[in-house]
Amino acid sequence: MVRLITHNLLACHVKGCTSNNFPLIFQDVQIELQEAEFNPDFVTHILPRLEWGALVDAAKQVGDTSLPPERPEMMDDDLLRQLHHVLMEIHVVEGAMICPNCKHSYPISNGIPNMLLAEHEIG
Amino acid sequence: MRTVTTTVIADSPQAYEDRHVHAVYDQIAEHFSSTRYKPWPIITKFLSDLPVGWIGLDSGTGNGKYLPLPAERPGSVLTVGLDRSRNLLQIAQHAGGRPGAPIMREVVWGDVLGNGWRAGAFDYAISIATIHHLASYERRKLGIQRLLQCVSPAHGRILVYVWSIEQDELSKRSIPVDAIYEAESLGTDVFVPWVMPQQNASRSKPRGQTSARDQQTQPSGASETTVATYNRYYHMFAKGELTRLTCEAAEEMDLIVGSPEGVERRGVEIIQDGWERSNYYVELRCWKT
Repeated sequence: MVRLITHNLLACHVKGCTSNNFPLIFQDVQIELQEAEFNPDFVTHILPRLEWGALVDAAKQVGDTSLPPERPEMMDDDLLRQLHHVLMEIHVVEGAMICPNCKHSYPISNGIPNMLLAEHEIG
Repeated sequence: MRTVTTTVIADSPQAYEDRHVHAVYDQIAEHFSSTRYKPWPIITKFLSDLPVGWIGLDSGTGNGKYLPLPAERPGSVLTVGLDRSRNLLQIAQHAGGRPGAPIMREVVWGDVLGNGWRAGAFDYAISIATIHHLASYERRKLGIQRLLQCVSPAHGRILVYVWSIEQDELSKRSIPVDAIYEAESLGTDVFVPWVMPQQNASRSKPRGQTSARDQQTQPSGASETTVATYNRYYHMFAKGELTRLTCEAAEEMDLIVGSPEGVERRGVEIIQDGWERSNYYVELRCWKT
């Protein structure tokens, strides 16, 4: 599935597209919410690994505006649960991700993002 | 016993992999997956030793059997599975789940030579039984470099397994690779057959891929069983070849191979390399001073 935790890792890799190629922008998405077990330790430790601004924007694109615009310094239980929900419980099932730079479209179908490129697009 | 035949790569490596790796795995996905359920001990330990909250890539995840690990503390790390076979990914999506208790894994459809990640996004990467499907030396080296690029330059951990020329189906020993390597051991290119019983051969004909397999009809008791043989391309690694390939891949990226040293340097340390169950493996750790 494309959860926002995975979206936070993906970047455009079309040949020559090396700047402003992250984060990809969600387009025409269908989402499903699916409960996942809350592991506060995991969420706490994942915080410094995230590109926070990219996560906040991606969450907005799928209709969740609960995260603060700046990466919080202290995480209370409510915020940890909120972050857990955004990262782990929102599944993008259908749609596409568009590169902000070259506009390449990476389709998502049945929860699987297609990051394959045609041979001439590979860097 | 598998009968392995040598092969020569006549096509472009990309076209060769499409035909003799990707098309085959899409055809055999379900049957293949039903035989791949037992994680290997060194891989299990590698995943069990990861700190909580780490994010990793399983490059060539197949049926995703490593995605649920570590079994003793599920959910403490998150492994994203990448594979070229969409049919295998559909299985990997639910790896470790049970009927009535669905689990969704993170999977991405892509090529291991692609680079669709922000640089250094992962804390660890594993590539198990995958790099040996790449049909040229340069492509296998690039496969290692993609792993080095996607993990953190400061602390990234990498584990790679490839098929070895030294085959020992019965041995459970792990034999360390000598420090001194035989020169000019370049491995060998082979086809490894996958034999799959066909319930209804007329209906399950592969679309446009008949050249990748041979069909035989074998008498079995009263009824006839049709068997399809799919040949998968492998590069069988020679002793020392994986470690050499890794060093070359790292040095081309201006990484120092060895223990951390100097100031403002980047490098990669070989934590262990060896042979286990017909495979060579190498474990790496990235460092930055």
